[in-house]
Amino acid sequence: MSVALTLMIMLVFMIVGMLIAAVLDTFFYRWLAGRTGGSLLTPLYAAAAEVSRQRISTEAPDRMNWFLSISGFLTLGAIGLAVVPLGPQSVVIGLETSVVLWGACESLVVVLVFLHGWSPNSPLALIGAYRYVAIGLPIMLLSMFVLIAAALPAESLDLRAIVTSQEDLWNVIRQPLGLPLFILLGLSLTLRGPLDYADSADLAGGTSIEDSGANRAGWQVARLSMLIGFSAVAASAFLGGYLGPVLPGVVWLAFKTLTIMTVIIALSHLLARMPVARMLGLIWKVLLPIAFLDLLLAGLVALA
Amino acid sequence: MSWLAKMAGLAEVPVFVAFGEGAPADAASVLAKAPGLRVVETPRAAAILFVVGTVPKALLPQLHRLHDQLPHPRASALWHSRNELPGATRIEEIANISVLLRAIHRDLLVGSLKSEPDFLSDAPPNEWRGIGPHGQGGKGMMGGTPYGRPMAMTAADLRDGLDLDAYTADFGPFLPMLPAGLVLTLTLQGDTIQNVAVAHPPFETQEQRGWVLLNLLGLPALAERMLRATNIGNATVKRLIRLSGARAAIPEGLGRTHDGSDVRTRFDLLTGTSEPIFNLHVQQIGLDDLLIGLEWHEAMLVLNSFDNASLRAICANTSDPEPDTMAGGMDHGVHAGHMS
Amino acid sequence: MTTLIAIILIFAFSMLFTAALRAGAAGPSTYPQKRPILGGSDPETHAWQRFHIRYYTMTLLFVAFEMEMMFMYPWAVVFVEEGPKALAEMGMFLVILSVGIVYGWREGIFRWE
Repeated sequence: MSVALTLMIMLVFMIVGMLIAAVLDTFFYRWLAGRTGGSLLTPLYAAAAEVSRQRISTEAPDRMNWFLSISGFLTLGAIGLAVVPLGPQSVVIGLETSVVLWGACESLVVVLVFLHGWSPNSPLALIGAYRYVAIGLPIMLLSMFVLIAAALPAESLDLRAIVTSQEDLWNVIRQPLGLPLFILLGLSLTLRGPLDYADSADLAGGTSIEDSGANRAGWQVARLSMLIGFSAVAASAFLGGYLGPVLPGVVWLAFKTLTIMTVIIALSHLLARMPVARMLGLIWKVLLPIAFLDLLLAGLVALA
Repeated sequence: MSWLAKMAGLAEVPVFVAFGEGAPADAASVLAKAPGLRVVETPRAAAILFVVGTVPKALLPQLHRLHDQLPHPRASALWHSRNELPGATRIEEIANISVLLRAIHRDLLVGSLKSEPDFLSDAPPNEWRGIGPHGQGGKGMMGGTPYGRPMAMTAADLRDGLDLDAYTADFGPFLPMLPAGLVLTLTLQGDTIQNVAVAHPPFETQEQRGWVLLNLLGLPALAERMLRATNIGNATVKRLIRLSGARAAIPEGLGRTHDGSDVRTRFDLLTGTSEPIFNLHVQQIGLDDLLIGLEWHEAMLVLNSFDNASLRAICANTSDPEPDTMAGGMDHGVHAGHMS
Repeated sequence: MTTLIAIILIFAFSMLFTAALRAGAAGPSTYPQKRPILGGSDPETHAWQRFHIRYYTMTLLFVAFEMEMMFMYPWAVVFVEEGPKALAEMGMFLVILSVGIVYGWREGIFRWE
């Protein structure tokens, strides 16, 4: 398949994915809140209302970085989707080291979320940015260990090879600890629920407290793009990506991406967030050793 | 752009709520139940400023500043309020809230209702244009008022004495994570509280703040469910709270008072997950004892874990701030370009 | 090369999208609008400041692990080929780093204060 066609499919995948994610999010929230009635397309209408409102800048903001944080976050999510093979022969970024590229995107998220909180020159946004770095960094170690573990049986850092290595058995069964740990990273990358240390309610919106109009709409879209990109990577690394009988590969990928997305959205509404110091301890003292264990088990299984 | 306006008109109306004195205790619950409204956490996301209750005279400059922070097109509405806001719609009956606010929102979007202008004059907090070698408003890196305000100056961190910038400012009274009416003068190093003084005590209210704690713990959907539930100990809500791990998320011993209760036990009481077995005694403890040294999130949990009467007592117990920390206190609006 | 072109294309498209969102409602912000959100209060100083990076000791530990990651990427590719030897080598490496975590824990680097 030509690159241009793959790029088009990817774009459609991303846009439809964002819409579904926004609707799912609204649905889960309302269901848990016990609210009935009202259109599920509310997030779309809200985006329209948001772009019709004024975009306020603050006193002496860092304009360039404000713009860059939003467009950059959107880019990183899209790159996540671009390294995912949509079918046996079709991938936008066909790189032999695509896992390393994705790892680089993960770490850049920390930089961009920090910039988003930094640029408005506002105290509560700055606290959100500062706190996010403390959690965003160590949680990335987990992801690196589980992704390396997923790469072991494939003997390659190419996401395409990781997908084909799962023809007999999906990684989620071969490495049962991998996906849950990776989903924790997903919650952190998309700034959701228990790992939302950037845009949380105790800071009245944190890094996005000063976002109005187009900035607010843009930041929410960027978060959704990261959700799609992350879910597609997780589906490929642990659920066999496009592999599946009868239906075309991209449909299977879409279905598996949707599954991961649903889990992330449900968890983000169901799990409580602990204060940052406590979470820091939890990551280093409990989750990181579990990630070691995951790597050890994956290594033993790969050799067996 | 008419299709955009049409779509925007279908959106839930984003409302920022400013609570005043004498607001109905169930105001948050009424707003949560009103169809087509969404209570937002920052004025930047709101189209309508909704004043519930009467904001006292001392806090009117704050209300005016808040009003001006909403993006255009914007409007304001008053409910149970004796305040006068030019252009604001007065709402008399609960049943009308949704209908009225949605109509205002639609009219704003199509332009048939004019957006409310600023209350304050369009002047920088300090004159800075053209001052200094580059016209940035000061001398060197830190001096003067670059772009309208001075830079933060250094102070020793209370934990390790490192000499870094301390940020002192008033927070409140219209921040959703602070109890209504409370204005705190906080000194922060990063996100850790170094010093606290009460600039304005919270208003008297019968409101139960269990839902706020849930919201602070990252569970807004459960918070709304609690607001909608008819009785506080609703079984489904209790089960969902237990499943969420909210109790375990609160550090043990956080915000412990002399009676032995901490945020965890008070959370249980407020969310109805345990029986009220004791009365709170809040003698001889002040906000400075409770908050200094805490991280921001923890501090917000502590503040919202008390019932209104206890919190007012604690605020009254808080020792008077040292004069230098109060330099930017309540009358700051005067040189920040306030009209009155 | 195609990778680079793809990344640049995606970035350009994202910037275009973000810029296009801004095309809708215009209007400059006035000074009262620009004031940072503090719930109606007015700050004295700018918010930008020299923070105490509470977690700096922890970031040093993080850097150690990131370096380890550099070794791990090629290790993952040759792992099955090298067999148990590779597992033992990485095991030893991780044990040494874990001792570092335990030491740091004892020294209290995971505390926020």
